[in-house]
Amino acid sequence: MAEIGSSVEFSGSLSSSALPPPRTRIFKIIVIGDSGVGKTCLTYRFCAGKFPEKTEATIGVDFRERLVEIDGEKIKIQLWDTAGQERFRKSMVQHYYRNVHAVVFVYDVTNAASFRSLPAWIEECKQHALGTEVPRILVGNKCDLQDSIQVGTDVAQQFADTHSMPLFETSAKNPNSQGDSGGANSDHVEAIFMTVAHKLKSQKPLVLSQPPMGSGVTVNLNRGRDDGGDGAKGWGCSSC
Amino acid sequence: MKRLRRKRQKAGVVVNGSFSREPDCGKKHKLAEINQALISDPVDIETLRRAAASKGGLLTDELRRKVWPKLLNINVYDLPHKPGRDVRDSHKDYNQVVLDVKRSMKRFPKGMPARERAALQEQLIDIILEVLKQNPQLHYYQGYHDVAVSLLLVVGERMAIALLETLSNFHLRDFMDPTMDSTKHILNYLMPILEQVDRELHDFMVRAEVGTIFALSWLITWYGHVLSEFKHTLRLYDFFLASHPLMPIYLAATIVLHREKEVKQTECDMAMVHHLLSRIPQDLPYELLIGQAQDLFEQYPPPLLAKKAALQSRKSLSISTFQAFQLSTLHQRPDSVLQRLTKAQGSTASRHGLEAALPGDRGQLWGKGNRMVKMAVWGLSATLGAAVFAVAQTALDWGPDVLLQLF
Repeated sequence: MAEIGSSVEFSGSLSSSALPPPRTRIFKIIVIGDSGVGKTCLTYRFCAGKFPEKTEATIGVDFRERLVEIDGEKIKIQLWDTAGQERFRKSMVQHYYRNVHAVVFVYDVTNAASFRSLPAWIEECKQHALGTEVPRILVGNKCDLQDSIQVGTDVAQQFADTHSMPLFETSAKNPNSQGDSGGANSDHVEAIFMTVAHKLKSQKPLVLSQPPMGSGVTVNLNRGRDDGGDGAKGWGCSSC
Repeated sequence: MKRLRRKRQKAGVVVNGSFSREPDCGKKHKLAEINQALISDPVDIETLRRAAASKGGLLTDELRRKVWPKLLNINVYDLPHKPGRDVRDSHKDYNQVVLDVKRSMKRFPKGMPARERAALQEQLIDIILEVLKQNPQLHYYQGYHDVAVSLLLVVGERMAIALLETLSNFHLRDFMDPTMDSTKHILNYLMPILEQVDRELHDFMVRAEVGTIFALSWLITWYGHVLSEFKHTLRLYDFFLASHPLMPIYLAATIVLHREKEVKQTECDMAMVHHLLSRIPQDLPYELLIGQAQDLFEQYPPPLLAKKAALQSRKSLSISTFQAFQLSTLHQRPDSVLQRLTKAQGSTASRHGLEAALPGDRGQLWGKGNRMVKMAVWGLSATLGAAVFAVAQTALDWGPDVLLQLF
């Protein structure tokens, strides 16, 4: 557990001894997709700023967090990293779909089966009442493995368009490398989650942190999103 | 919070809440007691269980190789054969098993050369698939590989298959249903225990809506997934192998109770509490917590909790078969007798010989020749516990596991 999930992912200000200012907004993002597509790597990469040396199977749900600043506002991004095996998703992970503000679907560009599973994952979200008003993005991971790509960008882009999601192809391992298939890219892992954060920020100011030691009642944030209007279509930058 | 009382004096072991120093004679005494229990006829299973749970557990891997099979009613002279090449053919969980095993590097000793680790990982895939194949009612779950590797590293391939198979049909049975509903049911015992001991903490956690998933990997891997020190994992395995299938939940409760202050000081929020609890501190006072878990189990046995929390609606196979399983362990013959009997039958005599330890015709899987040799040595060390014991029943080899260190 040392490499992954240690406090390195937390900025000091988030520890219990120094609670965040009462109005820090929290964006909860759930990361889902088949086993082995790299969900843990992606979330770790974003929260800890580096590629984890070893990742193991995620059992149940893991949680990572990072404080970012967007347009002068400090925002807490909470990433819920989930187990990929079907049996976990069926009965264990539901609890964590509640109050989620955005969904990141991940597939592995070198594993066609993980791409074919996406409709099932999308259906999963629907069942948990996460409609199209909840921002969703599609991430094709491991595109540093150029020689074994099984899912072409065209196919993925078509799928993403059909489901009104922006598509990113990236590599959690080497996000700055030549690994993209569409031209020069900067650090995509960073861009992926920041895109979501910007999108969420541009929506109505829904998400308030709970007061310290508060009532424990989660503020229901989903309402305002319905009139957020534009849905997901066309937002963000589909740069691949 | 009500303090947990230690009231029992465990067989020859100092308890009473003070674990700081243990005179060496306690260890020697325990060792002698275990060996005596092993040569009793029938085997003194009660003493073995007590020894496995009490301070220090089974002390050495050498002893584990002798005692673990007894705790699970396994005849080490009649072990399953090594899996054949076809074990990997068209199993529905093959891909998932390979995926999980390949990235389970952390479970292996730090100094182990990559090649040896790779060879053991291949064995790990085989033993998991072998058990699944022989038991179609069992379904693989991520985390099962953490249990399997803990067994494999101590007892070697063939004995690991036998242990894993029995465990899977009893202690782990609920986790191996087609769905995880039964697992959820077992997790549901956690909050009622907390409620009994520390209502304030319980209520805090309910308010935070933290759920119990933070303890999921603890439960279904017997903590193998979350502990970085293998010796701690082994200590807990000693304890759980000798205990009721719900004991990992009672231990989970003691861990949460142990961190009561931290929990209450954290923000009352699902994410924060989940994060805090799911990161298990590596310096837990294991002996203390094991004692407390036993006390909790006595004070609040599963039927009582089930009644209080209306949990009885679902049938747990692990719980309902446990009594019969325990009864079945009462009439085991000591290894010396088992060996004689098995030899007399003649049918399985070759199973535990050197030839069985060799990888045989599976060179294709192991690849390079050098690895073959190492694997043969490994196979030897695996059966060594049984062999040594058969030759000299009173052998009190305290030394480190020399063969294990070859790797």
